[in-house]
Amino acid sequence: MPEPIYLDHAATTPVRPEVLEAMTPFYGPRFGNPSSLHRWGREARTALDEARERLANCIGARSDEVAFTSGGTEADNIAILGAWRARKVEGRNAIVTTPIEHKAVLSAVHQAAHEGAQERLCRVDSTGTVDVAHYSELTQDGVAIVSVMWVNNEIGTVQPLAQLAVRAKERGALFHTDGVQAFGKVEVDARKIPFDALALSGHKIGAPKGCGAIYIRRGTTLESLFHGGTQERGRRPGTENIAAAIGLATAAELTLREREAECARLVQLRERLERGIRERISDAVIHGAGAPMRAPHVVNVSVPGTDSESMLMALDLQGIGCSAGSACQAGTSSPSHVLTAIGASRELVNGAIRMSLGSMSDAKSVDRVIEVFAKLVSKARGLAGVAS
Amino acid sequence: MKERVLVAISGGVDSSVAAALLVEQGYDVVGATMKLFCHGDEVPDRPCCSLDSINDARRVCQTLGIPHYVLNLEDAFGHDVVDDFVSEYSRGRTPIPCVRCNTFTKFRDLVKKADSIDARYVATGHYARMIDGALHRGLDPAKDQSYFMWGIEARMLSRMLLPVGHQTKAETRAVARRIGLNTADKIESQDICFVPDGDHTKVIRSKLGANAPALSRGSFQLSTGKVVGEHEGYARFTIGQRRGVPGGYREPMYVVAIRPEERAVVIGPKSELLGRGLTVREVNWLTPPLQAQGPRPKTQDPSRRFSVQIRHHASPALAEVIREQDGEIELALDEPLSAITPGQSAVFYDGDRVLGGGVIETAYITARTPLPVLA
Repeated sequence: MPEPIYLDHAATTPVRPEVLEAMTPFYGPRFGNPSSLHRWGREARTALDEARERLANCIGARSDEVAFTSGGTEADNIAILGAWRARKVEGRNAIVTTPIEHKAVLSAVHQAAHEGAQERLCRVDSTGTVDVAHYSELTQDGVAIVSVMWVNNEIGTVQPLAQLAVRAKERGALFHTDGVQAFGKVEVDARKIPFDALALSGHKIGAPKGCGAIYIRRGTTLESLFHGGTQERGRRPGTENIAAAIGLATAAELTLREREAECARLVQLRERLERGIRERISDAVIHGAGAPMRAPHVVNVSVPGTDSESMLMALDLQGIGCSAGSACQAGTSSPSHVLTAIGASRELVNGAIRMSLGSMSDAKSVDRVIEVFAKLVSKARGLAGVAS
Repeated sequence: MKERVLVAISGGVDSSVAAALLVEQGYDVVGATMKLFCHGDEVPDRPCCSLDSINDARRVCQTLGIPHYVLNLEDAFGHDVVDDFVSEYSRGRTPIPCVRCNTFTKFRDLVKKADSIDARYVATGHYARMIDGALHRGLDPAKDQSYFMWGIEARMLSRMLLPVGHQTKAETRAVARRIGLNTADKIESQDICFVPDGDHTKVIRSKLGANAPALSRGSFQLSTGKVVGEHEGYARFTIGQRRGVPGGYREPMYVVAIRPEERAVVIGPKSELLGRGLTVREVNWLTPPLQAQGPRPKTQDPSRRFSVQIRHHASPALAEVIREQDGEIELALDEPLSAITPGQSAVFYDGDRVLGGGVIETAYITARTPLPVLA
């Protein structure tokens, strides 16, 4: 079998060698607990403080605005539940979000609704872009927090984040964004866009799984989800994962350093991939392709007459790793809530394949994917033709 | 190039060993677990199709070093199997969902998935045998599952591999232990996979509501029409059942018929359970059809007669086709059989070979008037 091709960078990425190297001492000689007053503790504290500063610098934040978490899911939960629980007493009982959020956001909002919050879902158009008029209506009054993902993980649509954040804040709502897919793909700068909270994840940018961070703008009150010590200003009690913090900061710096060149490279690869697919499969539908702003790394394609479950298996057995929509607990693909929300037909939803480009992608691998994909599509259609 | 086979792995020992045997036989084996229904949190611990079973199946595949996929066939299974199950009970019949699962889910829908990955074969952990392209009973008579497989389209037979059918259950468990499968000593799933706690009325209730006629109060009657009591829904009864039937008669009483239009459950003594004829619909032949040969010959021709089995584990009885029309056939039995139950399968055998089968529509106390005898 030819060399396997990883085309699922939106799911996760390999740890960068520099990141691993930077982390290693903290599993060995520099093992101290940053809360200890002795030299081992001081050494660890220094490393943690530096990591926080470095990560803060990467997003235009001050270091006291950054708390390390176990990943994006935890950061989203801290922001949404923390803000709503803190603000519901002020008569701000509503949460505004969109139907195309990651489950980390949607489930946190559902949990708040279960506890009494009012859930308001903002319409998106067929490209997955927020309907600004509807958004303005929903954010009019009584909103504790708004959560809109910056870059959609399934279709790559980029939201007009500055406009949305400004609008929410005008009405006294807090504005949170899930920036897990955004960092490294768009400019993420807390000085330029007035978001109050931002969720980041390490493993999408070459840090390990199980680390992430939340940005919380100064002056923002959130009720803590966890109870314990005063680590991370009480926002995330528990002895800090120093190695992961170093890893995240290092990965963020590396990602930022190469951002422009890498994005330009990925856009070219994306166009090559989309062009190749369109040339060979004239009726292929690329979701979100018409969006005003798109991330460079995601291609979500549906081919009528194919089903994604069979296609993913067949691609995998040819050594090509892609994904469908969101994966359910059992590992089965369930119809994507994102594609459903942007109005894709059931047939297209059932056939959707997400290919996401990244550090392991190049023109040669893209060309092979196009060939294999086109062959599998014509085979699947041939089979469908025989069956009917 | 090794031939590829897609194995349906449920997480139980039989399908796990089927996969293991195929790996040992040198096939390019791909494992798949079909997710067929979802009870949500309703049923925390089912031996089949639960998340735990999927995890077991995945572990088996990891042990065998083969890829494992979870296939979501919930929509089709719900339509082809669960809906029919509910509708049959509503009609006062006793369905066998496993037959339709084999026909539509495993050996139609799963074969389509196999097509898409260029797998020549589909394999399962059934105790039945493929011999020279024909379906046969499993070697272990206690485990034989061929009764549930008559509905498979004949052209699928050449695509099927049933590796554990050639051995006993004890041998299957021994293989599982030898290769260290985590499912070796797993308890057997005997119930219908999507029926929680073995109570099929829960499924009917969840689909049709608690006020469904099949679950509503009705009468017990004698075959004379005399009302002798009340029951809490005819879907709780099957032909030949004693449990829940009124007592106080000289002989034990059994359910002998169900009349859904009156919500009546008819009871009677054992003698009323005997039937000498039956009609069978949805007939499917795995071999060239045994046709009603028109006028009945004077001498009984043994070549026209075959065995028919009217329920799982029942002894086969000799029968012949005496009438056929629009996919329905009528069989005359040499000797009467007890409790011929509408909705169950009538499966036709020549020795161990499965000839075909169908769904029992009606039972007759005597076979209907036979066709005229030719001189």
